[in-house]
Amino acid sequence: MNGFFTPDLVGGLGTWVAVLLTVGVWSYAVGERTIFRLLQLLLAGLATGYLALLAIHHVLLPRLLVPLVTDAPNHPLLFPAVALVAVMAGAAWLPRRVVAPVAALLVAGVAAFALGGAIVGTLLPQMAAALIDPATGGSGVIDGFVALAITILVLLAFLHGSPRGRFVQRGAGIGRWLLIGGIGAWFGFLLVSRLSLLVDRVAFLLGDWLGLLR
Amino acid sequence: MPSLGLLLVLALASLLPASDAVQLANPDATRSDELRGVVAGLPPNALVLVGFDPDLGTYGEIRATVRAALDDLIAHGARLAFVSFTPEGRALAAAELDRMRRAGQGALIADLGFVAGSEAGLVRSVADVVPADAVGAVADSIRARGGAMGAFTLVLVVSGGDLSARSWIEQVRPRLPSISLVAIAPTFLEPELAPYLRSGQLHALLATLRDGVAYANAVPVDQSAVTRRPISALPMLAGMLLALTLMGGSALRRLARGAPRGAG
Repeated sequence: MNGFFTPDLVGGLGTWVAVLLTVGVWSYAVGERTIFRLLQLLLAGLATGYLALLAIHHVLLPRLLVPLVTDAPNHPLLFPAVALVAVMAGAAWLPRRVVAPVAALLVAGVAAFALGGAIVGTLLPQMAAALIDPATGGSGVIDGFVALAITILVLLAFLHGSPRGRFVQRGAGIGRWLLIGGIGAWFGFLLVSRLSLLVDRVAFLLGDWLGLLR
Repeated sequence: MPSLGLLLVLALASLLPASDAVQLANPDATRSDELRGVVAGLPPNALVLVGFDPDLGTYGEIRATVRAALDDLIAHGARLAFVSFTPEGRALAAAELDRMRRAGQGALIADLGFVAGSEAGLVRSVADVVPADAVGAVADSIRARGGAMGAFTLVLVVSGGDLSARSWIEQVRPRLPSISLVAIAPTFLEPELAPYLRSGQLHALLATLRDGVAYANAVPVDQSAVTRRPISALPMLAGMLLALTLMGGSALRRLARGAPRGAG
């Protein structure tokens, strides 16, 4: 049981709708394109409607309109925020000298936000964790050196267009193969992930709908 | 029609009785034990924040594991507060909260809703995570502890492609170093999140199907928890064998086509 539907009439109706949609999507497997396209449009329409409602109820009303109307003096930052949005919305017809600084401000702000987190939260702690600590014993040291060697070789694979010696070129070749191996392993994870989703859908049809699975 | 054939094979394999010869659960229960250890170490009435942001597309893979974790937390006396930072996560959180209320767990959970802004919203929530309209004993307990993320003993991040435990580690942990993070993620996020487990930034991680099934099997099943059916092993085996056969056949055909060119 997926547990999302109640055992009453409404739940039964929900199960039937889910079954029809699932079978409709799978009709693509036997070459039926029209139903599949209709369901794509249905998904896009539902997602857009849901996102619009979410934006109205969770962002526009409580965070913008209500504070502006009821308590504007205590929310001074909302006015420049509204101005920023107005500039971005009118970017097509406003002069470039107005739009460019605003766009630069937004892009730089978002980039600094993400980059700061990546450096403080990932890069530095991961570098610290990758330091070879002799106290961890033989296997820890070997792991550390293997990780270091793979990292250097993969980084060499990203050297494009710069002058290379024979040694660096060979290292870059090995790095490319290591990269392909890594991507292949990730593909394997992805395959398992997607297959499990298909098995889950089959189990939904056989169990929740037909009641053939316990 | 290879796709139709795959569906039929999976259906047949699903209908066959389960056999002990085919096990999906990982026999190495280290990951599962780590999460169970974190949950078992919670103090009584602990407040646990559930960052619920899975994808609609991949939630089916981790649903049984997530429900087992929620059952495990509640069985250990924890009170749960759900918050989402992605629209898809919010839709699934609403469905799960509804399911839990129907199962009689309503008094132990709080709905902190959707916070817009993705990672920016995540950062904003570090200082204030309880919306003004949140009601109930659990929401009041969080407010009594300051209403910030620091009020929680543990954060369980249910990850998806848009916002994973990585965002929590990058944006929340530097601002709240004492926070204890555990995560459940679909298999494709395993390579991204495993380094954080090794570095200690994550205290537990279930990010492969096999570890998830091992965990779900380890958590005792309540009579009411009939909605926790893990992915079956036999159809997974059949599907993997079919996929390997298709890939092997494709590689052989490629080699056969390439041989004359090489010889020429």
